[in-house]
Amino acid sequence: MNVLIVEDYRELAAELADYLSKNGYLCKAVTTCDDALEEIAVNDYDAMLLDLGLPDGSGFDVLKAVRKSKSKIAVIVITARGELDDKINGLELGADDYLTKPFALTELGARLFAVIRRIHGFTANELNIHGFKIQLQDYKVSFEDTPIALTKKEFDIFQYLSLNKNRVITRLQLTEHVWGDVLEINSDSNFIDVHVRNLRKKLAAFSKLDWFETVRNVGYRINI
Amino acid sequence: MKIKHQLAVFNLLTRLLIIVILWFSLPMLIQKVVYTHIDKSILEKKQKFFAHLDNVEISDFITRKDSTETYASFSTLHSEFLQLYRAQKPAPKYKDVFVNERRIIEEEENDYRVLYYNFTYAGNDYVLEIGNSLGEINDLTFTIRFFTTTLLFIIVLITFLADTFFIEYLLKPFYKIINRKIRHVNEPNGFDYTAIKTHSADFHELDSVLNQMMFRINDLFQKEKQFIGNVSHELLTPISLLKNRFENLLQNESINDEGIDKIVSSLRTLDLLKKVINNLLLVSKIDNNQFVNNEQISISGIVSEILEDFEDRIEEKQISIINEVGDFTFTGNQTLIRIMLHNLILNAIKYNVEKGTITLSTNLSPERFILSISDTGIGMTETQQSKIFERFTRINIEQDGQGLGLAIVDSIAKFHHIDIKVISKIDAGTTFTVLFPLDIK
Repeated sequence: MNVLIVEDYRELAAELADYLSKNGYLCKAVTTCDDALEEIAVNDYDAMLLDLGLPDGSGFDVLKAVRKSKSKIAVIVITARGELDDKINGLELGADDYLTKPFALTELGARLFAVIRRIHGFTANELNIHGFKIQLQDYKVSFEDTPIALTKKEFDIFQYLSLNKNRVITRLQLTEHVWGDVLEINSDSNFIDVHVRNLRKKLAAFSKLDWFETVRNVGYRINI
Repeated sequence: MKIKHQLAVFNLLTRLLIIVILWFSLPMLIQKVVYTHIDKSILEKKQKFFAHLDNVEISDFITRKDSTETYASFSTLHSEFLQLYRAQKPAPKYKDVFVNERRIIEEEENDYRVLYYNFTYAGNDYVLEIGNSLGEINDLTFTIRFFTTTLLFIIVLITFLADTFFIEYLLKPFYKIINRKIRHVNEPNGFDYTAIKTHSADFHELDSVLNQMMFRINDLFQKEKQFIGNVSHELLTPISLLKNRFENLLQNESINDEGIDKIVSSLRTLDLLKKVINNLLLVSKIDNNQFVNNEQISISGIVSEILEDFEDRIEEKQISIINEVGDFTFTGNQTLIRIMLHNLILNAIKYNVEKGTITLSTNLSPERFILSISDTGIGMTETQQSKIFERFTRINIEQDGQGLGLAIVDSIAKFHHIDIKVISKIDAGTTFTVLFPLDIK
């Protein structure tokens, strides 16, 4: 899976590339509109992370050009300008998703997974975690064909941890994913623990959960 | 009261004053003119009488030597008379004395203007009386007075109407400036810069100065908007880098527990920083009217959704919720209204006691839709209540947060012309009353 990172802040681009390559993506980072357009024309990319404020123009121009070329590339716009009109503008021009800086890398991973699955259709619609089947589209979880009734929040947590398997997910990241990007200060709290506890209780009825790890003081991890 | 109405009232009052003054002073003026005129003609007659006076004539008038005889002559309609008789008692001589008198002449009573004149002729003292009837004059005075007043009244009416129309015409550009421009100074984006047509230099100046002022405000406004955009970009991008770098670092197996703790703590600090910046940006964006406000919002729907979001907190504190919110559709910005109600309900939960109650109820008055959010929490003193809408004010030091929640509520409320009232009692609870206007302009 090839991902083009268009971001003029090199250090940030490096961190994004670091995360994505550890998750099995092949990354290339460019810093200008021109380079981005050239890269897309020459190489075949599955997805692009597009910053809006670039030194030689707006990321929107790249987006426009890409959509004109009928390329099937998945575009996630990443910008610090979280203004409403930017969001509408970006989605109207054909961005597939939108992330406001600063975002969690795990959130980026989950979104990227979702857009690539939606656009290219070749990523599995099902995740298999130690015998538990997660049907991403239907929000259903089953174990050896026995459906497990999970609340929406429990499903969100399970899916998020599974999509970011083998990584520690902090409480903050989980909270933000489940409740959204709320403005409230210190919104991460032990509520997430309550939901994780309930989730584990429901899953433990079917199988041993030694792969579902609580990382002391940090958060949770699903190991595969 | 509008200036054109004030001018019209002033106009009317000054004119009425003129009419009243004239109504009372006119008779005196006319009388003075008339008496001068009559007196003059009487004096002319007197002169004529003395011009022809000689012994023969005086004996024509008075034949007998006794003092009782009176010579009198009247004009046919008794409008004038002349009398001559011997003086009975001494009086100042050669002096014109004019008197107004009522006299009966040949059984007809009339007002007369009479000249008494004492003189001595051939050793005898005589009194000469020359009278002129005032009846006609009185009739004339009344007629003059009536006509003058009517004429004046008509003139006043015409000039009043002319003045009013002229003032209306003159002030028309002024009212255009008010309606098209001054009423819209709060919306610098949609300001109408077209010049208002006027022949008055003052209004022309007012209009152009107003345009210049709005242009400058708009310019500053755009700059501030740009500044906000830049600040958010310049601050949030480095935060983004640090956050993602720490997140990557967290996955590094070689870091020990102590290192992991520090990384997690740094991530929390970055999250705090991000939220403070986002909250400040939100307040400044609201204050700069950078939100659309034409969305249809169901208040009860939003309240239910927020309560659902807070499920966990409500359960944890075992708070009972009494939700009696009636439906109401408000026109405004959905995101902002959600944030406002979110913050208010969050406070009701945060400052409530364990097993407390939160009551949400609504009311409809003729002008307002009223939403009350009451908790049974710790309450506030009056000093605290007066400060809650200020930025970075924390009611309770033990509670976390940066004291921006209610500042944002305040900004959102002002943006939507919503009034918020607070009633609070220590250890009894707090009630926030949100008054939504029924029609927003």
